[in-house]
Amino acid sequence: MTDNDCVDTGAHNCDEALERLYEYLDEEMDEATADGIRSHLDGCSPCNGGFDFERRLKVVVRERLSEEVPDVFLIKLRKALDDEAAHR
Amino acid sequence: MADQAAFADDAMQYSKQLYAAAMRMTRNPSDAEDLVQETFLKAYRAYDSFTAGTNLKAWLYRILTNTYINKYRKAARRPDEVDLGDVEDLYLYRRIGSEESAEASRTTEDRVLDGLVEADIKRAVESLPENFRIPVLLADLEGLSYQEIADILDIPIGTVMSRLHRGRKAMQKALWEFASKRGLLPENAERP
Repeated sequence: MTDNDCVDTGAHNCDEALERLYEYLDEEMDEATADGIRSHLDGCSPCNGGFDFERRLKVVVRERLSEEVPDVFLIKLRKALDDEAAHR
Repeated sequence: MADQAAFADDAMQYSKQLYAAAMRMTRNPSDAEDLVQETFLKAYRAYDSFTAGTNLKAWLYRILTNTYINKYRKAARRPDEVDLGDVEDLYLYRRIGSEESAEASRTTEDRVLDGLVEADIKRAVESLPENFRIPVLLADLEGLSYQEIADILDIPIGTVMSRLHRGRKAMQKALWEFASKRGLLPENAERP
C-alpha cells in the first residue's frame, strides 16, 4: 500500500489518521476526534483495513500473553502474607 | 488509609495478572515468582500509606515495576535506555494485506493471526528493550491507561505514547519473522 492508495476523507487525511492509530485503538482520544477518525476510515478502505488488522492483533496479543499461575505458587504467596501478618 | 488486615483479600485478585507481567519482565518462572512475592510483601508493609479507594492495581504495578527495575536491571547490567530504529506504520499489515483481492488478504490476515502461537507473541514482547517492553506490557497485557502508565514509570504521557508506538511496531517486525518461519505468509511476501 502506498499513500497514493489512500483517500483523504472526513476530518483527517491518511497520515493524520495513522499518526493517531494507537490513541484511537486504546480509546485515548475524545469522542469528537474519534468521530473524525471514524469518518476517515468510512471513506478510506486501505486505512480501514489497516486499523481493523491492528485492532484484531491487539486482541490476539492480549489473549496470548496470559499465563497460568501455578496453584502451588498462589498458596505460597498467601502463606508469605499470613506469615508477614503474624510477625506484626 | 487502607486496612492492612484486608490487604490479602484486596490484592490477591491481581496476582495472576502481576505474575504474567513478571514473567515477561524476568523471562523465567522462578524469578517471576520471587518478583511477585516481593511486590506483595512490599505492598503489604506499605499498605497503610495506600489511600483506600484509589487505584490499587496501578499501585501494585508501580511497586512491581520499580522492584523489577531496581533488582533485575542492576543484576543484568543492561543499559537503561535503548533506542529502537524507526519501523514503518502498519508494518505487519502492509506485508500481508496486499494480496490481489480483499478476500485473499483477509485469508492471509486470519492465517497469521491464528497461526502466531503464544510462544511467538511472548518472544516478540521479550525481544523489546526494557524501556519499550514495560509500557507495552502495561498497555497490552494490563490495559492500563496512558496516564496510569506515565504515573507508574514517572515519565511524561508523550513519552508513553512514543514508546508504545515504537515498541508495538518493533514487536510486529519480530512477529513477521516468526510468521515467515512458520510459513504463514504468502509466497510473494517480502522476506525478512
